[in-house]
Amino acid sequence: MNIIESRHLTKRYAGFTAVSNVNLHIPKGTVYGFLGPNGAGKSTTMKMFLGLTKPTEGDFIIDGKKYPKDRIQILKEIGSFIEAPAFYGNLTGEENLDILRRILALPKSAVDDALELTGLTQWRKRLARKYSLGMKQRLGLAGALIGRPPILILDEPTNGLDPVGIHEIRSLIRSLPKKFDCTVLVSSHLLSEIELMADNIGILNRGRLLFEGTLDELKQGAAEKGYPTDNLEDTFLALIEEDNLRGGGVR
Amino acid sequence: MKFILLTGVEWKKLRRSRILLIMGMAAVMLWIPSIINAHLNFEMQAEGISPEHNFLIQGFMGMAWFMFPAGMVVSTVLLAQTERSNHGILRMLVLPVSTAKLCMAKFVILLILAAIQMMMMTGMYFLSAAVASRTQGYEFLLSPIFVLKLVGVLYVSAFPMIAFFWMLSVCIHTPIFSVGLGLASIVPSVLMINTKLWFVYPMDYPFYIITAEYGKLASNLSEIRMEPVPWIPAAAVFTGICLAAACVYFGKEERR
Amino acid sequence: MKLTLEYKKIKRTGIVPGCLAGGILAAAVPILELAVRSEQYTQLRQSPLRTIMQADWQMMSMLNMLLVITIACMMYHTEYADNAVGRMITLPLREEKIFFGKCFLLSGMCAVVLIIEMLSIIFCTLRWFGGEEGAYTAFYGASFASAYMKFVRDLAYNFGYCFCMLLPVVILSLLVASACKNMWVSLGIDVVCLFMATMIPVRYFALSVFPFALPFQILEEANAGRAVQYLTAAMIEIIIIGAAETVFLKVRRAAA
Repeated sequence: MNIIESRHLTKRYAGFTAVSNVNLHIPKGTVYGFLGPNGAGKSTTMKMFLGLTKPTEGDFIIDGKKYPKDRIQILKEIGSFIEAPAFYGNLTGEENLDILRRILALPKSAVDDALELTGLTQWRKRLARKYSLGMKQRLGLAGALIGRPPILILDEPTNGLDPVGIHEIRSLIRSLPKKFDCTVLVSSHLLSEIELMADNIGILNRGRLLFEGTLDELKQGAAEKGYPTDNLEDTFLALIEEDNLRGGGVR
Repeated sequence: MKFILLTGVEWKKLRRSRILLIMGMAAVMLWIPSIINAHLNFEMQAEGISPEHNFLIQGFMGMAWFMFPAGMVVSTVLLAQTERSNHGILRMLVLPVSTAKLCMAKFVILLILAAIQMMMMTGMYFLSAAVASRTQGYEFLLSPIFVLKLVGVLYVSAFPMIAFFWMLSVCIHTPIFSVGLGLASIVPSVLMINTKLWFVYPMDYPFYIITAEYGKLASNLSEIRMEPVPWIPAAAVFTGICLAAACVYFGKEERR
Repeated sequence: MKLTLEYKKIKRTGIVPGCLAGGILAAAVPILELAVRSEQYTQLRQSPLRTIMQADWQMMSMLNMLLVITIACMMYHTEYADNAVGRMITLPLREEKIFFGKCFLLSGMCAVVLIIEMLSIIFCTLRWFGGEEGAYTAFYGASFASAYMKFVRDLAYNFGYCFCMLLPVVILSLLVASACKNMWVSLGIDVVCLFMATMIPVRYFALSVFPFALPFQILEEANAGRAVQYLTAAMIEIIIIGAAETVFLKVRRAAA
């Protein structure tokens, strides 16, 4: 069963199309890797799911609910992390999470839980504006994970983390569906990263969905088309390059 | 229930903002000249107002005309910048809360800040009146009931103005225009209270009330009358329009 | 060179249109005033410039100062908001240069604002005082050319004086803005200072040289000696505040 489905989702800004006719199918209880180079439209798609921007055309269903009619209902089920971490610099990490906790009407333990999950417990009393880049990133993640929502939307969650941190967060994301029975939509511009986390992947380039399916299907399809398959990163690059050539590099 | 909780959350966001410090500073600065110039209160025979009443009215005029409205503009800057500086607003918009409720919770915070500012200034009045009584050897303190009643009326009359400032800061994202317009709109109050159409300009309500009180207390000044109609309906309509516009536009810019 | 750099930084912040709008707003004051109650002023047999300035300069200078304060806060807000200043101070460039670059830029904008206001005063003079029997002819004489020369000279003196009186506000509000990372703190401090200035009784020279009180001064009301005193005071203040900023930046660097 698909928990998130989009139909002909399109977002046009004056003069250019960020997302064009995208049909996504994200099965429940899986990690879905959303892949594409910078500016491919990953963030825009995620923002549409969160009601942060309105689709120009098309629509989507999240857990049987439709935007904009059920905006509040949809948001109740989603924990999200978008773009640059969003927080209040004058508050400590713990206070930031407490604000979210109170609005979501969660028990007090939810804050500790989120801090624990992201490894921020020892810095909980520090002001968020004094956090290092990696800590800000973790705070953003903690804000998404708080209350263990059934759907997680994470936009490049490993940006700015050190190798140890990247590994930690990846394993965390990988384990989430089993641990909390949730669905994760995670974006990245690195196939190697998505490969380690995701069950299904969708590849986006210049606003269009080039591929959707499992990793094996990607490999199979690539082999049929004569792309390199021994290294997945090369497959990905070949796919993007070919698409760029077709589009003449203009959008 | 949920709304009270939201307001509590909004209040929490103001931690370490130093806004109370600034308001306290404003309150102190408001009354220092009055203490220094306390002797001038005995030279008001022409107006026919008693020194203790004059002491109160002069200070409150400064507050109602400029200090209080300007303090509210500063508070709206605080609320807007807290949300925008680290994209805090984005985090709020993806929470399952209606944006209109968020907007109104913030407006309530503004009203609370206004109340705090008023209380600080009133507190400083009692303090400085006590000091002036000492230095001048004349009892400047007025009955607290009289003073508090006046403050209460001033406070409620400021609601439309606060709603207007709030609308400016929500609808106009370029700070220079929202702040500039807010501050600039304070200045013409002096002119507007002398016109028949004073009630269409909410920024002058508190000032008008103080001026009316002045007229009442000073036997040689002509009294300005405060007719509830059309003032109250005009104020209500104005407040409603401002708040509606603020609620509609709240978060629009971030959700394009 | 530094000036173009500072000018680039304020692109798209709305400061330039805001500055023009502020100038036009202040320029509208005498026009509106004369349009509503010209008969009160046109009878006066004195320099029309003096009539207009005495009637409206209080409010115009108040608007000017609010504009300067807002722009000063915005200029540093653009530095602090996305931590651009963090990059600036790691460049091989002295922070003082940024400050004085901003001072020059803001002074330039003040000049523009004053010129807009000057144009409005020229318009008012010719429109309401320029008739055959008007104060303009009565004061400057009937000969078109010589009257014109005298009028322009008076105008230039007056506005040059106003410009000099505004400079301490420019530099002081930039000092406050550079010291506070949060815009509402600097705005709050400036607003309180401005309020203090409005409370200062005019008869005390020592108090009226307070930077925020200086712009209320007009040349038409000062005799030559007083004018020189005020100009000297303004110059001393500029030097002191400039030195204070240099020291402040040194201390902050040392403390960081």
